[in-house]
This record gives sequence, structure tokens and C-alpha cells, in this order.
Amino acid sequence: MGADTRDTCVRTGPGSAFLVSRTREDTRLRSLLDRLRTALVARRPSFPVRYGVATLAVGAIALLRWALFAEFAPWFLFTPGVVVVALLLGGGAGLWATGLATACAGIVLLAVPPLGALSLIQVVASTIFAATTAGLVGVVVALRHALIEAEASRAALARSAAAAEEREAFVTSVLASSTDCIKVLDLDGRLTFMSEGGQQVMEVSDFNAIRGCPWPDFWTGQGHQEAVAALTEARAGRARSFVGRACTMRGTSKWWHVAVSPIRNPDGTFDRILSVSRDITALRESEEERDRFVRLAETSTDFIGMAQTDGRIFYLNDAARRMVGLDGTDLTALTIADFFPPEQVATVAGEVLPAVDRDGHWSGELTLRHFRTGALIPVLSSLFPVTDSEGAIVGTGTVTRDFRARKAAEEELRLLNGELAHRLKNVLAVVQSVTRQTLRNASDLGRASEDLSARLVALGTATDVLTNASWRSADLRELTARSLAPHGEIGTRIRLDGPDLTLQPQVAVALALALHELATNAAKYGSLSNDAGRVEVSWQVQGEGNGEGAEARFRLEWREQGGPPVAPPTRRGFGSTLIERSLRSYFGGTAGIDYRPDGLVFVMDARLSDAALVRDEA
Amino acid sequence: MGQSTPIGTKTILVVEDEALLRFDVIDFFEDRGWRVYEAENAEQAIALLDRHGEIRVVLTDVQMPGAMDGLKLAHYVRDRFPPTLLFVVSGQAPPSATALPARATFLPKPFDLNRVLRQIERSPVG
Repeated sequence: MGADTRDTCVRTGPGSAFLVSRTREDTRLRSLLDRLRTALVARRPSFPVRYGVATLAVGAIALLRWALFAEFAPWFLFTPGVVVVALLLGGGAGLWATGLATACAGIVLLAVPPLGALSLIQVVASTIFAATTAGLVGVVVALRHALIEAEASRAALARSAAAAEEREAFVTSVLASSTDCIKVLDLDGRLTFMSEGGQQVMEVSDFNAIRGCPWPDFWTGQGHQEAVAALTEARAGRARSFVGRACTMRGTSKWWHVAVSPIRNPDGTFDRILSVSRDITALRESEEERDRFVRLAETSTDFIGMAQTDGRIFYLNDAARRMVGLDGTDLTALTIADFFPPEQVATVAGEVLPAVDRDGHWSGELTLRHFRTGALIPVLSSLFPVTDSEGAIVGTGTVTRDFRARKAAEEELRLLNGELAHRLKNVLAVVQSVTRQTLRNASDLGRASEDLSARLVALGTATDVLTNASWRSADLRELTARSLAPHGEIGTRIRLDGPDLTLQPQVAVALALALHELATNAAKYGSLSNDAGRVEVSWQVQGEGNGEGAEARFRLEWREQGGPPVAPPTRRGFGSTLIERSLRSYFGGTAGIDYRPDGLVFVMDARLSDAALVRDEA
Repeated sequence: MGQSTPIGTKTILVVEDEALLRFDVIDFFEDRGWRVYEAENAEQAIALLDRHGEIRVVLTDVQMPGAMDGLKLAHYVRDRFPPTLLFVVSGQAPPSATALPARATFLPKPFDLNRVLRQIERSPVG
């Protein structure tokens, strides 16, 4: 930089410097030029004024010169006047003044000898005066034009400087007010400038602390790779952008959208790179939050839908489409009414939707209609107004739960309750019957009480076995073992022998009671009344029943051995009556007790299908 | 209205598939000097009714195996033998009044046989 220039480093913004230099002469000349400017350029006089002033000036000089010098030096003083006239009023006025001055001098010359005429020498001298003065006017005019041009270019320079300053200030304020982080990097990716707004969003307290630091180092992981790649692209002259997560200088983690591009000079070359980062954290978080809500609705197993205020549907989640059979159907043609059977439409239009308008909410049971099958779907529905971001109601929303399973469960429970009540009443009726028959046949109250207790226990045992199989069947071995267990050890005193067989539920109670009566009788009078006797309980299935007319039969035998000698009872009580009569009835076959002297034998014979659940044989 | 059945006729038909319950009712009425017919299902009951016109009282369970349940049987009896006293027994909820035939008494299980007997004895025919 030369000694005659001074540097003005105008700091228009961090890292942005503009260099302006001017000559010192320019400054010194300024006051004179400023004065001349008004005379020469700004207020150029009109033609009569110019020539009038020139005439007056020359006249005044002529009078002054005459007063001072009379006939002596007739051209004296005119030249400076003409020069000033030419300088101030232009070339035309200068030449006019030259002519006048020559004429005035000529008038003076007429007053010196030879009087009344001009000598040759005087004519020559006058001509020389006129010529040199005219030449001087030419020089002055040239100077005048130069001055005018200089002023014009100076003014233009001042204007452009002012414009540049204004532009500069504008760019500065834009940079400062932008909330984007605008950075200038050198070709090595080092930070050379960061905008004021950028320093705020990046939480930079002192830019000098990070000036010159490699910009990609502010990124970690994937972001670092993206930043390096973007720099590489910019160095190759191409713009590139990416989205990444990076921390501010104070460690606040934020999402950024980053655009990196070369800063081109007018000739297309570049030696700096622009990096603009925008904080998109809020946007990103609201997007993520919105995404979560969308997923919540989409993956819900409840029916979620929205309709416009005119009833047209604009959203249904997958569960809703599945529930009413609308997979892949265009929703826009549907209205709320299409989802309900005709008898429900009036309820929805007349009660539900008005309640939503009035109370802001409605919930209750409704019935939807399946679009393909027409099947009715009981649902528990909640409806509410849907508003836009300003709070204006734009439609109606619903969360609706499929109530079919619940309804079915309720119905099942109702049936189960009914069935339970039915069974309970049947059991009570059986108890009533057993009680009455016990009392009817009892010889005394004490005996009746004893018998009744034991029979109710047997009834309970049968009920246990049935309950285990949900009243659908009863395993014969289990029923036999449990009914007889109170009367003697199963396996030693009482032996059971027979195939696996599942009894019909309705015969189980009677068989349990019959076995109880047989065992009670055996304990009192038969083979279980001493220490040696035994009871063999055996059952068989005879015949396969697969041929026509030859049905499989079920045969059960109760055989007592080793007891005291048997005599037929003198009176047939409830026990034997029940055994024979009820088993015949329940099993639809024959049943009889044979009081053999060596031991009581009971034989029952029935169709297998009347006694047992016949399983499909493989 | 004693014209259809002789006064003092004590004849009852008990229709009940559950033998334990049936025997109790049979024994109860037999002990009190009644002539008792028994049936396990509606078909047997109808056959007995056709054969024994003197049957004055029918006591039937509702739930029974076969094509005809006790309710249908009761209607059949009311149509075919209008003066018959009808008792319909069930362990389930009582049928609606319209489902029952006219002048039939519904008895929920378990029921009191003595009350049934008193009602029979109070009825005009008895």
C-alpha cells in the first residue's frame, strides 16, 4: 500500500471488511472544487447573463485600466479578466470577452499616434493579443471541462460509495437478523466468519475462540461424514445440503438443515465456501410428535375415524377398515350414515351428533354395519368434535371399540348363569327327591338322618366328578373309585376292573347313588361287614357295534365275596328300589340284584350308547 | 264342570325323564291313593293319554329328550283333553304367560308336592 493512501477498514460485520482508499490531493482540492462546483456546474448562467456579465466585466476592466494607465499598456489587465470569464462562464463568453477586450484596446490605440488610425504594428500587436488571449481561453475552457468532468466523476464515485455503503449496511442487517447460522469457510473448511444471528443460535459467546477451527469438527458421527462430504462437493464447485444433529457451543443438541456451496467471484472462481445451517429442531420434534400420534391412531386396535361437518369421511385407521370391511375402498364417497344400519341412522343423526354439538362429547353403545356382509357389529362408541389449529370445528371424530367379543362374553355369561341356575335347581330337586324317599322309607328319624347324610355325600361325589368335566361327561373309573372310597380301600377290599369309559352326564348321578347304596348295604350286611370279604366291580363293553342291528353293550357287575351268608331282605327300601328302578330307567336296560347266599351280585346291562359317550375309534 | 270326569277320580300322569325325580312324584301320589301313570318323554305320555281317558291331572317337565318338549305336550293336552289339570315343571326361567297353555300352572324346580296336591283338591273338578 502506497504512502499516499490510507486504509479504511470498515467493519461492517464480523469477518467482512471493505477497503476504500482515496488520494490526499483529492481531499485538499475539495474546498476549492466545492466552491467552483456551484459556479461551474450547479448554476450555469443563461446565455444573456453569461454574455452580459462578460461585457460588463470587460467594460469594467477597460474603465479601470483607463483610469490607472490611460494610453499606456492598452491590453493590460484584460487577460486575467478574460481567463476568469472563460473559466466561470464558458468558452463562448471567453471569446466574446476577448473580442471586446481587443476592441477596447483598439479604442485606446486610436487615442495614441497615429491618431484616428491603427499603425501596422498596432494591428499586429492587437492581433497577437487577440490570438494569445483566444488561445488562453481555449486552454481555460479545456481546464474548465476537465474540472467539470472531475467533479462529475467524483460525484459518481461518491454516489456509488454511498450505494455500496447502503448495500453493505443492508447485507449486514440481513446477516445479523437472520436466525440461520451463516458461515464463511476457507477452502480448507476453516471458519472465517459467522453471522451475528448465527452466533446466537449456535450459542457462540466469542467467535474469535473458534475462528480458524475446522468446521466439520463441530459434527460427530454421521453428521461429521456428511459435513466432510459437503465440503468436498463445495470444493469441487457444487452445492450440497444435509440434515444432521449437532450440539451448540453450550452443548444443546439440535437438528440442523445445512446447505454448503462455493462463494463464486464474478469471474466464476472461488476461494471461500458458504455454509448456512438452519435450526430445525422444533420442526423435527413436532414432526416426530405428529408421527407418534399418527402411529398411535394407525396401530390402534380400536376403530378411529374422522368425518367432516357435512358427514363425509376423511380418515379411517386400519382397524376401522377391517372392522367394517372397507379395505382399499375410497373413503371420500362415504358419509357417517353409511356406517350404520337404517334403524340406527336416525338415532345417530337425531341424538348422537346433536349431543356431540351440544355437550362436546357422546359415548354409548351403537351398532355398525359391515359393508360387505351387512353383519351388525355391536360397538362402544365415543364421539367428539374435531377442531383445527384455530379451534374451529371441522368435523366429528370417533374412537369406537368392537363390542362383539364383549357382547358374546356377556351372552355366554348369561347362558352360563342360566345353565348354572338350571343345574342347581335340578340338583335341589334331586336332593328333595332323595330326602323325601329316605324319609318315606325310614324306620326312625335317627336312621333317616344317617342315611340322608351318606346319600348327600354320594351325590356330592358325583357332582365333583361331573364338575371336573364341566358337566359334559364323567369318567367311570373315577366315579366308581370316588363313590366307593368311603366304604373300603380301593384295590384291596374293593377291586375295580374295566376299560376306560366316559359316562353320559345324566347317568352319572344315579350310578353314583346306586354304588353308594350297594356299598352301604355291603358294609351293613354283606362282604364289607367283616374283615375278609371283598367286592369286585367290573365292567365290559361287548360287541363293536359297527354292524347293523348288533349294537355294542355296556355291562357292569357288582360281585361280593367272602361276606357272611346272604338272605334276601324282608323289606325293599329306598336303596334297592333306587338301584334297580332308576338304573333301568337311566340306562334303558336291565338291572337286578341277586341275593346269592355266597354273596350279593348286581348286574346291569344296557346299550353302550345309552350309558357312555361313544368315541370315534381310530 | 264335573260332566267329563267322574268325581273322585284320582288319576295322574307324571312326565319326567329324570327317574330320581319321577319316582318321588310317583311314590308321593301312590302313597295318597292315586293311580299314577309315568312317562319318560312326550311320545310315551301321548300314548298313555290316548289309552287312559280317565287321566285327570298331567304333571310334565319342560326339558325332555325327543321331538316334543313338555310345553308342546301341555298344549297338546289342553287341545285334546281340555278339562285336564295341567302342571308344567322346569328348572329354567318360567315361560311367558302366552307360551303356557290356558289354565296351566307353572312350577319351578324344586317344587312342593303337597301344594300341588292341595291345588288339585281345590280345583272345581275335584
